[in-house]
Amino acid sequence: MKPPRFDYVAAGTVAEAVAALADAEDARVLAGGQSLVPLMNLRLARPSLLVDVNGVAALSGFEVRNGTLRFGAMCRHRFLETDPDVRERAPIVAETAGLIGHVHIRNRGTLGGSIAHADPVAELPALLVALGGQVVASSTAGERTIPAAELFEGPFTTSLEPSELLSAVEIPAHRQGDGGAFSEFVLRHGDFATAGVAVILHRDGSGTCDALRVAGCGLGPTPVDLSAAGEFLLGESALGSGAAEELGSRVAAAAEPTGDVHGSAKYRRELAAVLAADAVRRAWARAGSSDWSGRG
Amino acid sequence: MTGVRFSLNGEAAEVDVEPRELLLDTLRDRLAMTGTHAACEQGACGACTVLIDGNGVRSCLMFTVQVGGSEVRTIEGVGSPGSLHPIQQALSEHHGLQCGFCTPGIVLTALELFETDPHPSRQQIVEWMSGNLCRCTGYINIISALEALAGTAEARS
Amino acid sequence: MTAVAPPQAPPEPTTGVRRREDTRFLCGQGEYLGDVQRPDLKHIAILRSPLAHARIRDVDVSGALTLPGVIGAFTGAELAADTGTFSHHLEAIPTLRQLTWSVLATDKVRFVGEPVAAVVADSRYIAEDALELIEVDYEELPAVNDAEAALQADAPQLYEDWGDNVFLYIPGAHGDTEAAFEAADGVLTERFTHHRIIGLPMEGHGAMGEFDPATGRLEMYVSTQIPHQLRTVVSEITGLSETKIRIVAPDMGGGFGNKIHMFREEVLVAVLAMRVRHPVVWRQDRTESLTASVHSRQQTHKVEVAYRNDGRVLGLRADIIADVGSPELYILGSGPAIVTTAIIPNCYDLQDYAFELRCVATNKAHMGGYRGYGQGQAVFLIERVLDLLGEKLGIDPVTMRRVNMIPDGQRPYITATGAVLDCGSFHDQLTDLLEAADYDGACRERDEAREEDRLVGVGLAQMVEATAPNIHALAGQFGGYEMAMLAVQPDGKVTVVVGTKSQGQSHETVFAKVAADELGISPDDVTVSDGDTGVLPYGTGTWGSRSAVMGGGAIIKAARQVREKMVAIAAGLLDAPADQITVSDGFFRLGEAAIPFAQIAAAAYLHTFLLPPGMDPGLSVIVGYDSFSTSPFPDERGKLNVSPTYATAAAAAVVEVDRATGVVSVKDLTILHDCGTVMDRVVLDGQIHGAVMQAVGQTFLEELHYDENGQPLTTTLLDYTIPTFGDVVEPKIVHRETPSDLIGGYRGAGEGAIIVTPVALAAAVHDALKPLGVPITQANLSPPRLRDLLRGHSAA
Repeated sequence: MKPPRFDYVAAGTVAEAVAALADAEDARVLAGGQSLVPLMNLRLARPSLLVDVNGVAALSGFEVRNGTLRFGAMCRHRFLETDPDVRERAPIVAETAGLIGHVHIRNRGTLGGSIAHADPVAELPALLVALGGQVVASSTAGERTIPAAELFEGPFTTSLEPSELLSAVEIPAHRQGDGGAFSEFVLRHGDFATAGVAVILHRDGSGTCDALRVAGCGLGPTPVDLSAAGEFLLGESALGSGAAEELGSRVAAAAEPTGDVHGSAKYRRELAAVLAADAVRRAWARAGSSDWSGRG
Repeated sequence: MTGVRFSLNGEAAEVDVEPRELLLDTLRDRLAMTGTHAACEQGACGACTVLIDGNGVRSCLMFTVQVGGSEVRTIEGVGSPGSLHPIQQALSEHHGLQCGFCTPGIVLTALELFETDPHPSRQQIVEWMSGNLCRCTGYINIISALEALAGTAEARS
Repeated sequence: MTAVAPPQAPPEPTTGVRRREDTRFLCGQGEYLGDVQRPDLKHIAILRSPLAHARIRDVDVSGALTLPGVIGAFTGAELAADTGTFSHHLEAIPTLRQLTWSVLATDKVRFVGEPVAAVVADSRYIAEDALELIEVDYEELPAVNDAEAALQADAPQLYEDWGDNVFLYIPGAHGDTEAAFEAADGVLTERFTHHRIIGLPMEGHGAMGEFDPATGRLEMYVSTQIPHQLRTVVSEITGLSETKIRIVAPDMGGGFGNKIHMFREEVLVAVLAMRVRHPVVWRQDRTESLTASVHSRQQTHKVEVAYRNDGRVLGLRADIIADVGSPELYILGSGPAIVTTAIIPNCYDLQDYAFELRCVATNKAHMGGYRGYGQGQAVFLIERVLDLLGEKLGIDPVTMRRVNMIPDGQRPYITATGAVLDCGSFHDQLTDLLEAADYDGACRERDEAREEDRLVGVGLAQMVEATAPNIHALAGQFGGYEMAMLAVQPDGKVTVVVGTKSQGQSHETVFAKVAADELGISPDDVTVSDGDTGVLPYGTGTWGSRSAVMGGGAIIKAARQVREKMVAIAAGLLDAPADQITVSDGFFRLGEAAIPFAQIAAAAYLHTFLLPPGMDPGLSVIVGYDSFSTSPFPDERGKLNVSPTYATAAAAAVVEVDRATGVVSVKDLTILHDCGTVMDRVVLDGQIHGAVMQAVGQTFLEELHYDENGQPLTTTLLDYTIPTFGDVVEPKIVHRETPSDLIGGYRGAGEGAIIVTPVALAAAVHDALKPLGVPITQANLSPPRLRDLLRGHSAA
């Protein structure tokens, strides 16, 4: 189980990286490598060139810009999980990053890498959809932004061009009244989710829900936007009896999972119902709490 | 072939490798660090864990060309037969190893844990260690060893 | 048989290094197969079939040979021309299809992963590059991936000349089942299923071979549980004499039965080492391990049970279908299924028992050994039958067991299939279990939980294990004895070599103590090694819970012989009769007089003028040890006692089922364990921990999947999910010690917990689901599988 031959470029800047991508056929970006390298070891991925962006300092860190949080693509999961600033400003990101794999996967794996890999069972792509975020794609032609809704085209397939580097991820900044939760079912601690549901909602000063988004992983060929299932909660000031279960039923009905060795489509639908109910309960409570820090 | 220089257990190492060569293979076959074990080569078992600049990684998912300038620490750099590290000592005392194949990865993963937090709870131990598979011990005595260490002794290197 | 010792409190951990093995393992200085280096070592990669069933029209390796760094590339046909073949060595079984096969497939492939061609190259990287340049022309054939489908008349046939896919058929009829069914108050009919899993040692298989043309010697390092028998097979296939072959099994990263067979790849390494004249190594990777080593457990049982209304089982008929995949595996991969048929009566007085076993070939990887070796399926059957029958009759599980248990005092008890049980009281063992588990309290808590609409259940199970078996009936040429060498060296230190190869079982530590105790010296003065055919003439390996019983017995036997000679020397020096000499603490004593152990050793080798007149110098023996109480083959009535002694265990489990997700939480697990004399309590408990965890994996986490075309779907450890830290179930372990009559009093350990735990868990899940009326008749209780069962029950 050894990878086939490839050429290797260690980029020092975004410009170097996108130049290398532009020049080669079948080039792939090497970020954390936690998904790409196993596929290469199995010879299921065989890029001719790897463009290593681990040395590109500009792809690290995050900043607040015009009401959005902009994360460098090379933010590692472990950074997202533990950085106090991220935990305060984007608690749902920190919490979700902590769900990914094991600590040594999180030490290497990156936000941009996970999203660009577009594994339908991965957490961060689903979270990006739930947050209504977008990614920044860089190439020799410049930058463009791609909303999450237009990014994911199929299993392991995005609308990024081969010559583009996913350089940043942008999500709306956390506001007072925001609440979010990511609930997932894993067979063992650290596994990919059999299914997962993210609920992101906002309650106004009077506690009324005025925004609610739902997305899932393991529930379709891509991270799926299931927000329509939650529209019935808009305008509600309390999560009434049976409301969480109702959301669960609607999410399960809207999901389009397929079966694999980890669970049948039916099983994933059942999980979706349980997970959506759990996520909305937690998100709702957090939105009503004044100091949700991602730990609650 | 690419020349790569890095620090290996505190000593300078230099190898000439193809870009595709996995750090796991460089350590084992070129540098005789055979305590780093190949068990899955899919990033799923933790037997090949090494520390790079203090962070645990799976050496089967790193290319050697990526570690230029880094400090790489393997099991050979943790303790020696005459001077076991407290983690190694605790694993032996609690019979936290049987065939020993996963043990180097267990030791290195625990080392990073105790360097992050010298007094982890049982739950923290379980979550932190859960990427390291063992087929012999049922994990019980590994957890006991690490709990004992967390409660009674600093496990600083 | 002597008195039963009371359960002991667990010992306090001692300080210092617990085991001899620990220091090198902890420091990364073990020498596992992959660590064996040679200058100029070349690497083997194997091209494997991508199809489940196909005829090989042509294999062209010429492309591979053009790649720089490639030493050689070989087809099956080329190697077969001057290489011998494998067989099962079971010509005596008329209902077994006689097969021969080569180190690589020649005419047909029958599962995805079957070896087709091999490359030797400077590195594994280049070798794998070269595999991509080999062209194979396959004629794809329809595949069959399920045993019951393979029994249909129109099923694709793996071997056209058979006419069907039944590789092995064994019927058995013991007692008078017809009379039992006629006398019955009723008949219970059930169907049980066992899914396909794999033992999966963390270290995969592998072999290194080096051939010296000048001496004609072949040296191999192989990660195998059975180095001596492998040498015999390498000799058969290469034509080299066993005097010219040395096989070393180095440190091993687990075995669990996955390494008790002679693999094609291992012999291929020998063949290629002789051809390319470089040392060569094949290191199995994890995908090869998951798709092309051996799988285990997959069986389907249909059972009819004749019962009386008081719960007594009068007779039982079992129709057993084992899905053995490709049968081209030696030692016979159908062995576990044969053992299943023998163990079904378990610890119950069931003499009227009949079965039919069909081992069915399918287009999947070989079925073969894994800890438990078919006994778990047998125990699952009878223990589930007792619970299901009890439920039908309104009789509780404890009473059901007591009504059917082999009575106390009747020892040895000969079972329907001929097993000569030497066990202690099953009634007392069950009593101890119920007390240790607080069974009544657990049942009360279950009842309270039910009031709260929680799905809590309690389950019981018992088992008898045939340990240290004689396997002539499964292997033809290999039995069940053991050998050991013991030498007291001139400095008084002791060398022990034993034929039971450790794969993590702490033999260097525990066998040192065994020898030291016999010799009256400190274990620190004893060095134990194993796994080297160059040192000990033969050995039978480590499997079947046999190492303590047979390896330990052989070491004690050897130590006693050497001690006897040392006593004779001491008697001469002290001028006293030998029977007045005692041995303790490193001295041979007569009253106040004491001669140090080392001084006797020196006399034997150095100061030989001190030896009694006519005594040969030296203090070493090589012993063979057989219990003489087993039979190689069944008698004319089909009865066979395979084991010199039998271990027992029982388990009680408490679980809670989450009906929404199908997740089962094990709240409590008690293991009552009787392996006779306990060698080392900490090591023993460690093995029980591991076996329990594997049982948990088997029940809740692990399953090998194939699609309808025979493509394996579980090819990585992300898809084949063995337990990790978060899945820990910590059993309460209680030991009864009923010594056997064998040397040392051992009964064998290591497998009991994996045999008895799965059905205890299944019984507990069944009990938890009782309010919903969802019966458990399958071994696979993973969350998705359990949801499959719950779905459709309105209350679920």
